[in-house]
Amino acid sequence: MEIGRTLAGLLSGQAAGRPGAAAGSAAAGRGTAGAAAPWPAPGAAAAGSLAGAFAADFAGTLAEAERAAAAALLDRGDTHVLVQAITSSQLAVETAVAVRDRVVEAYQEILRMPV
Amino acid sequence: MGDLSDALAVSASGMAAQAARIRHVAENVANADTPGYRRKLVSFETEGQAAGMAGMAGMAGAGGAVAGAVRPGPVRLDDAPLARIFDPGHPLADETGYYDGSNIDLVVEIADAREANRGYEANLKLFDQTRQMQQGLIELIRR
Repeated sequence: MEIGRTLAGLLSGQAAGRPGAAAGSAAAGRGTAGAAAPWPAPGAAAAGSLAGAFAADFAGTLAEAERAAAAALLDRGDTHVLVQAITSSQLAVETAVAVRDRVVEAYQEILRMPV
Repeated sequence: MGDLSDALAVSASGMAAQAARIRHVAENVANADTPGYRRKLVSFETEGQAAGMAGMAGMAGAGGAVAGAVRPGPVRLDDAPLARIFDPGHPLADETGYYDGSNIDLVVEIADAREANRGYEANLKLFDQTRQMQQGLIELIRR
């Protein structure tokens, strides 16, 4: 669940802050402010934006996979439901990681731009 | 992503339905020698059929299942005549020496099991195919 929350957070707007902290101290202050401006605040992101909806859907998919895994371990669940939930969560994590990588890459591309 | 993840859910429901079918075949084979046992038949139903085509695009039918998925229907008993077995020493034998066996034909049961196996394989293949399609789509953004 921790991974889910971290990725959901990264996708819902905090993503703009984190790579800035890692990218270098000199450009970090100005770069973070510049990149964060077009992004909604983390709280507002959940309200109705596309990223917020995606993050909520993503966290829901992971929670469902965990519920199915717990039920299967307690011998109460159906294996087909478990496999389906795990496959959907695998695809959701792959999508989230791919999107996050693209966001970080784009941000670093902006940092490298000569002014 | 809706159609692809729905396809995953429908394939999973197909596998679950074939699993229910093989379960009843196993029950029938196990009870082939049980006196008075009647063969259990299970037929499949489409999820959300009552809602019609309007419900196909929507998300969930009853119990969180995707519309268009399959579910095993109610179990019926085969009312074919029971086999009359001659064994005067059997405790259930009547005065003529016969008793009622089961109406299981093992050849039919094995054929049914093989059919369930093939159906399961087809659903498994489709599940994997859908997963590969979705993964291929994600590969595009990963470059």
